[in-house]
Amino acid sequence: MTLWALLLAPLATAAAICLAPARTAKWIATVGACTATAIAVLAALQFPHWTSETFWPDERGPEIFESLGVTFELGLDGVSMLMVLMTVLLVVVSVIGSFTAVTTREREYYAWFMVLESCVLLAFMARDAVLFYLGYEFTLIPMYFLIAIWGGPDRRPAAIKFFIFTFLASVVMLVGIVYVASRRAEHVGSWSFLIPDLISYASTQLTAQEQFWTFLALMIAFAVKTPFFPVHSWLPLAHDQAPTAGSVILAGALLKLGTYGAFRIGLPMAPLGGAELSQFFAVIAILGIIAAAMICWVQKDVKKLVAYSSVSHMGMLMLGMFALNPIGVQGSLIYFVNHGLSTGGLFLLIGMIYERHHTKDMDQLGGLARTMPVWSSFMIFFTLSSVGLPGLNGFIGEVLCLWGCFTSEHDAVSGYPGMLGPWFGIIAIVGLILGALYMLRMVGAIVWGTPKEPHHPHDGGDHGTRLPRDMSPREIGIMLPLAACCLLIGLYPKPILESMDPAVRAALVRYPDAVEKVLAERSEAEAAEASAQGTVTP
Amino acid sequence: MTLPALLASAEIPPFQGVHAATSAPELSWSGLLLLLPLASMVLCALMAMSRTRTKLPAIVTSVSFLGMFVTVLGLAFRVGDTPVVVHLFEWINFGWTAATPGPERAGEELWRSITANVGFYVDSLTIFWMLFVTGLGTLIAVYASEYMEQDRGVSYSRFFFGMSLFLLSMSALVMADNLVLLYLGWEGVGLASYLLIGYYYKKPAAVAAAKKAFIMNRIGDAGLALGIFLTWVNYGTVEYAPLFAALSDPPSGSGSWIPAAIPFCLMLGAFGKSAQGPLFTWLPDAMEGPTPVSALIHAATMVTAGVYLIARTFPLFAAHPDSLEVVAWIGGGTAFLAATIALAQHDIKRVFAYSTLSQLGYMFLGLGAVSTFGAAYHVFTHAFFKAALFLTAGAVMHGFAGQLDLRKLSGLRHLPGWKIVSWAMFVGCLWLSAFPFTSANFSKDAILEAAFIMDTPSYRFLGWLGLFTAALTAYYSFRVWFRVCCGPVSYSPGEEDHGSDDHHGHDHGSPGGAVRDHAHEPATSAHHGDGHGGGFHPHAPRLAMNLPIILIALGAVLSGIPAYQKLAGGENWAQQMVLHSSAYQGSAMPLAHGDAAVEHVAHPTVLGMNPHLAMMVIGGVAGVLGIAIAWWFHLANRQAAANLRSSLLASPATRWLPILLERKWFVDEIYHAIFGVPAWIASHLLHWFDRHVIDGLLVNGVGRIPPFLGRVFQPLYSGRLQGYAVTMSISVGVILLWALWAWIVGEAPR
Repeated sequence: MTLWALLLAPLATAAAICLAPARTAKWIATVGACTATAIAVLAALQFPHWTSETFWPDERGPEIFESLGVTFELGLDGVSMLMVLMTVLLVVVSVIGSFTAVTTREREYYAWFMVLESCVLLAFMARDAVLFYLGYEFTLIPMYFLIAIWGGPDRRPAAIKFFIFTFLASVVMLVGIVYVASRRAEHVGSWSFLIPDLISYASTQLTAQEQFWTFLALMIAFAVKTPFFPVHSWLPLAHDQAPTAGSVILAGALLKLGTYGAFRIGLPMAPLGGAELSQFFAVIAILGIIAAAMICWVQKDVKKLVAYSSVSHMGMLMLGMFALNPIGVQGSLIYFVNHGLSTGGLFLLIGMIYERHHTKDMDQLGGLARTMPVWSSFMIFFTLSSVGLPGLNGFIGEVLCLWGCFTSEHDAVSGYPGMLGPWFGIIAIVGLILGALYMLRMVGAIVWGTPKEPHHPHDGGDHGTRLPRDMSPREIGIMLPLAACCLLIGLYPKPILESMDPAVRAALVRYPDAVEKVLAERSEAEAAEASAQGTVTP
Repeated sequence: MTLPALLASAEIPPFQGVHAATSAPELSWSGLLLLLPLASMVLCALMAMSRTRTKLPAIVTSVSFLGMFVTVLGLAFRVGDTPVVVHLFEWINFGWTAATPGPERAGEELWRSITANVGFYVDSLTIFWMLFVTGLGTLIAVYASEYMEQDRGVSYSRFFFGMSLFLLSMSALVMADNLVLLYLGWEGVGLASYLLIGYYYKKPAAVAAAKKAFIMNRIGDAGLALGIFLTWVNYGTVEYAPLFAALSDPPSGSGSWIPAAIPFCLMLGAFGKSAQGPLFTWLPDAMEGPTPVSALIHAATMVTAGVYLIARTFPLFAAHPDSLEVVAWIGGGTAFLAATIALAQHDIKRVFAYSTLSQLGYMFLGLGAVSTFGAAYHVFTHAFFKAALFLTAGAVMHGFAGQLDLRKLSGLRHLPGWKIVSWAMFVGCLWLSAFPFTSANFSKDAILEAAFIMDTPSYRFLGWLGLFTAALTAYYSFRVWFRVCCGPVSYSPGEEDHGSDDHHGHDHGSPGGAVRDHAHEPATSAHHGDGHGGGFHPHAPRLAMNLPIILIALGAVLSGIPAYQKLAGGENWAQQMVLHSSAYQGSAMPLAHGDAAVEHVAHPTVLGMNPHLAMMVIGGVAGVLGIAIAWWFHLANRQAAANLRSSLLASPATRWLPILLERKWFVDEIYHAIFGVPAWIASHLLHWFDRHVIDGLLVNGVGRIPPFLGRVFQPLYSGRLQGYAVTMSISVGVILLWALWAWIVGEAPR
């Protein structure tokens, strides 16, 4: 029941916002978001077995399409619990962060925000593939409106590109899921879309070729959502144009749907496909790490810079996941959370600057350390978290992703054979240097240096709310929990790593064999080719 | 050939392996080494928030550093020959049962884990390092309490926050029991250095220098991270104790490239932090920071972390002696290059900065020549005399309103109140030039001696290069002293205080700070600006600055005790401390086993003397010669130096020399051209490609297909009757034509 309450609380809040007068909207939204957080924390406390592989709770949900076996089942494991906790935290922070930023059509804004929260939670809690797909797709609608109504000057094209790009890609995923379910129905005799059912069928019964295409179909959707480098172009635009809170949720929760989907459905469903394609995706991921970092380096717009840095970070995350061993996958999962916290924090901070100075242009800002010392301290803190300074959260994710990549070899010490190996890691490590380069360039330009007067002087007159020169207590209040989480994860990641461990092991259970099989096939093919050449040449 | 030679000639007891570490939970109070600086960090942050204008941050920081020093002393008495591991709390720690795929490995149950906890590995090397780090840290914090006093307020707290962060990170780096915690400290000291170099953040030069330092360090850090990953890939652990245990087994000879690559990766990290070889350019620029920072971080302690890293992981290097030769070459080369640049600099702090580079080069040469004792002892002696030099330079800067140009200062020792500074600088310069019977002479000799003992052409060359560099060192260090402290009294004040324009920035950030700022301006310039008019009175350092200067100069003198002990035929405690650790040079011993040449190697000689004596004599002569030349050009006949320069510049054959030296061999410019510009162009190209090709052509292009198709067919549905009629007739015509063609084709074969 807790999960149902968690799902419905934001929806009920949205309904209440619609009915109540406009000036109460933000307060109702705050109460609703806090309630959802309280329920999620309650669920985390109730969560009975951090060490179990199965979803919790075990009770079955009502069936939606009886004939197709689509059920409304919600469940959590260590990983989705973490995703849920991060989402509810970020929603609270972004709702409170929007108090002064959003002053038009407040009711609609907060109502859409609550609907968005509900959709994201649905996707994270779904045990049924169709339900997951529903949540995954429904997020587009509120997000579309958030960008298209409350966004920047180019908001319409940005919203449309965001919607169409990700929507088209996800249709391919649906095809993949339906294919697997129909093959299973042929085989078993009854339909089911439950994720564990599909996985246990597909990972054992489908041929290598079928797994290859299934994996590809799923990953097309997830790659666009994540996003991987060549299919990322919707993201900088969407981030740039979205309102601050929209960017926070986009980076913190929506992008994570892609990586979460890859972890929850993609990897376990088609191990042979995953093993076969892991090198391909790792190469693309590394390309993304380096190319996006270099693009960041020449950005003038601070928000765009952080948006491109998301692409770079996501490359690192996916690299860890395709290491196909517990180190890398743990690293990429903890990277989910880290990226949500640090990039979310950066977007919020940039939003505060935009509210005060009405610019995000690096050339027009400078020397903020003098005028806004508290803001500057937070900015440096989240920058350091983003570049992976040890002791803060970013480091844990980054180091484990790379670590996993390094040991992902045929004869790895880790005992989990993988397809990557040190060379992938050596190239990816360049991202560490580039990350420091562009982030410090930004900090050097806007935090340090001689104070610059932006063209729009600090007045806040547009909004009718006068903002203080430095951060207000409300703004400090929303940054503190994020900063505390960054420190906590950086210094004591053990509980999180432990709670995710069983789910990670379960997701990877078929991988050592699959990798061995793929490698054996490749060496056979090579041997055959060699012998074929050998018979020709003499 | 080289290692057996060394081992046969040096009086080194046979190798017994690195002692196995024991766990010592009863020593967990040593966690104070992290807690004390952490507490003072937090307190400084709170004081910054409360905008205190007292000296409380300095007091808190100094007391906590002193507490650390006492803790280290306490540890020193509790730890013997056996390394001790103190577990504090779990950080990154998880394990799993290795999967056992394939029939040939079936049934194997292998437990794998990544263990990188917060824990201390305490042996004599750790103590040796922490003793001078915390000791100097305390004294320099006291010094800074007076030096930074004009910044009292938020900036003052910010400064001491950075100092506490530095000592926190440094103790994590030195005390760590695994490479990942070392990496934490490694990046932490980099951050502290970034924040403190950029302390005067309104100066663009300081901001650029801070960024440069962080990026250059990051490049090194990437190498270190690489080394850590490869270490785990190869040995399955990153904790020192199991790692050394694994290394004391004879190398299995798996033929993999990884174990041979590890030392090179770690080396890159060490070069980044210690500003060696290709990564040296950040350190001279780091002098933009406040002088106490230059003294503590960029001269005495942080930059020696690279030496510590190699000494600590020496068994990894000893397993692949090729890597040591590379270390030696980079070290020797940097020592020489930096010394040549120091010859031609006019800024006192810059001269000292290049001398730091040069001395660090010696340390790496020592490591490369398998003299970990020489390297570590030189770190120890260098820490004191270099701190003394920087603190005196800081006192000059403090007193003469930021003046650091050695051409504009003269005869300081005749001024009232500057005696202590002058003579402390004299001690520093004498030690820097390794005058006979100073402690630096012994430590430098130990390094050069080892290079000659290695007895290969390349090491011999490095030895002679080191001796030549010693003469250069003596010249440029006394050039400073003769110019600044001797001769007739004359001085002109600098343009600003502390080389900054931020000394009245303590109230920044308060609402209306900018307004109050302007109110301060006239007052400050009235205080310092009278110098511009000619009535400038330098303000001599007071107790809080003089006392640390005296103590550190005294420390430089006392740092020779181990060497004097040895001269007197006793035990050299510094050598004992270094050698009873993983830095024990005999850990290279297993390689020598089975080499028949061991017994036949004669002791190498230098000019017919044994290396030890030879270094005393040649090094001493070189030092005295350098001082004599400096005396001639910079005290007895100051015009001669200018004449020499102009005559060099006059001749086209020699004019490159002063230009190259003064422009620092153009290294920065070359880097900019090789790396900066291409990367900048590539990034812009990528950005263009991303916007116009990926997004513009591909994504929007695909997006344009549906509207385009729509537009093509749109006229068909215009709603006009004629249009429909035309469409219909064309269609009918096409169908008829097709039918006709089909009929003809169908007819033809019949």
